Amino acid sequence: MKTGQELRAGHVINIDGQPWLIQKAEISRSGRNTAVVKTKLKNLLNGSLTETPYKADDKFEDISLDRKEVTYSYFADPVYVFVDTDYEQYELAADDLGDLLNYIEDGMEDVCEAVFFDGRMISITPPNTVTREIVYSEPSVRGDTSGKVMKRAKLSNGHELQVSDFVNTGDKVVIDTRTGEYKSRAKD
Amino acid sequence: MTQAPLWDIFCKVVDNHGDIGVCWRLARQLAAEQPVRVRLWVDDMQALKTLWPAAELKDRQSLAGVDVCRWRAEFDADVRVADVVIEAFACHLPPTYIKSMAIKRDQGQAPQWFNLEYLSAESWVEGYHGLFSPHPHTGLKKAFFFPGFSSKTGGLIREKDLFQARDAFLKDPATADQWLAQQGVHRQSGGLTISLFAYENPAIGSLLHAWQLGDSAINCLVPEGRILTSINAVLATQLKAGDQLQLGALRLIVLPFLHQDDYDRLLWSCDVNFVRGEDSFVRAHWAGKPMVWQIYPQEDDIHLIKLDAWLAQQAQISGPALTAAALTRAWNTHIDCAAEWQQVITDQKRWQQQSLAWTRHLNLFDDLASQLVYFGQKSL
Repeated sequence: MKTGQELRAGHVINIDGQPWLIQKAEISRSGRNTAVVKTKLKNLLNGSLTETPYKADDKFEDISLDRKEVTYSYFADPVYVFVDTDYEQYELAADDLGDLLNYIEDGMEDVCEAVFFDGRMISITPPNTVTREIVYSEPSVRGDTSGKVMKRAKLSNGHELQVSDFVNTGDKVVIDTRTGEYKSRAKD
Repeated sequence: MTQAPLWDIFCKVVDNHGDIGVCWRLARQLAAEQPVRVRLWVDDMQALKTLWPAAELKDRQSLAGVDVCRWRAEFDADVRVADVVIEAFACHLPPTYIKSMAIKRDQGQAPQWFNLEYLSAESWVEGYHGLFSPHPHTGLKKAFFFPGFSSKTGGLIREKDLFQARDAFLKDPATADQWLAQQGVHRQSGGLTISLFAYENPAIGSLLHAWQLGDSAINCLVPEGRILTSINAVLATQLKAGDQLQLGALRLIVLPFLHQDDYDRLLWSCDVNFVRGEDSFVRAHWAGKPMVWQIYPQEDDIHLIKLDAWLAQQAQISGPALTAAALTRAWNTHIDCAAEWQQVITDQKRWQQQSLAWTRHLNLFDDLASQLVYFGQKSL
């Protein structure tokens, strides 16, 4: 059990049977030594966001979510199927994949972290970096080698991003999945 | 015929009379001015009786159009849930009542639930006011409702006929004189009449001394309360209600604890009002007279931030060099107030003008009871 004043970003609490991730919690001191807490919450089942106040002494059931390592297996329209190390399969709709959708491609071997609530996979996080092949990039025009000049490039799943000007079609690049930004050209 | 909606107000008396003072005023105003039925749940009937002598120490009674019920620790699970529910000032509703609210919601008649918070002039209040909060265990939605001093808050308690009553009282000075005479007070020409309602405050010694040595006569009216402890300590007296004491230019007059309507009359009758907490503080705004506020003291001096926020809001309307700011800060930090008092009293006319300007400004906003009703209608 947690009280309102103990809520912190990253905690997951149960509100009316649903898991809500606390993205932000700010305490303000009210009258007579009481306090109120303004939270930004994300519903882990449907992704909805809300800004919600609570009293500092409101009580919440906190949730410790199960986590497992999974890898992408295949797309079974409209869901994406992942498997764990025991070859158990779990499905997630595109809307619940978040930014991972940008990096999904057949045959990918990246180990992702899946979060489970009540036995059901509710979210999945890719590793901090992934390596992907550029299937198309505009030709380099300036011969820049510093990496400061950027241009548009495309991954095999159609996702576009900015890469250094010296990156060519067929190159592999490292992408920071937390920011979605190109990080470097991958070394073979 | 459809019955008027039922409003429940839940009030726990923490200390002093601020909680019940606000809740009782709100209950009376809603019952008198809105097409609603009002039930007030209070855990300390004696506290209500202090403010409203007609109250009896029994479990249920009808007072001023309000159904007043004792809030017992073992709350009756069969109590019918109201259409609108107000939990005032950080109290928590009985779990059985919340359960009944959830059942009512499941039947398609979700009650409207308000968390009425403490009054503050701080800017963060505007960001909280009106936000909904789902109850962790039932999902019932509760609106956070903050009284305040701006259009982005829930406003202040102010009855529709308050100014009419005040102006009628002040129209003929004889009316105020007569009322004061009933309290054993006789105003002196050219003198000052001051009301002093405050928590314990060691700074009172400096004020009493300054008033005692002043050029003009001062009647200081002290309704029974915590400041009397400080006065008695400073003067080595045992003053109580009904006592009077002449000290140089100062006449101290101890009044019994006044009921709410009489307390308004006291504020209207005086030239300067020292007030405390929330209820007397708000009433002093509507009196339109110079006031000195003693805010409820909190840990880590948080109250001083809240005090400065109020002074800052007032300064935006009344002018940056707010006459009473220094005195108010000195009074709240318990330091010698004599110099600050001399400053405000030599500038008394300006202080009065600033107070009136602030009152007029606050009167531009809807009162708290009306805003609760509008908010409820809007969110349906």
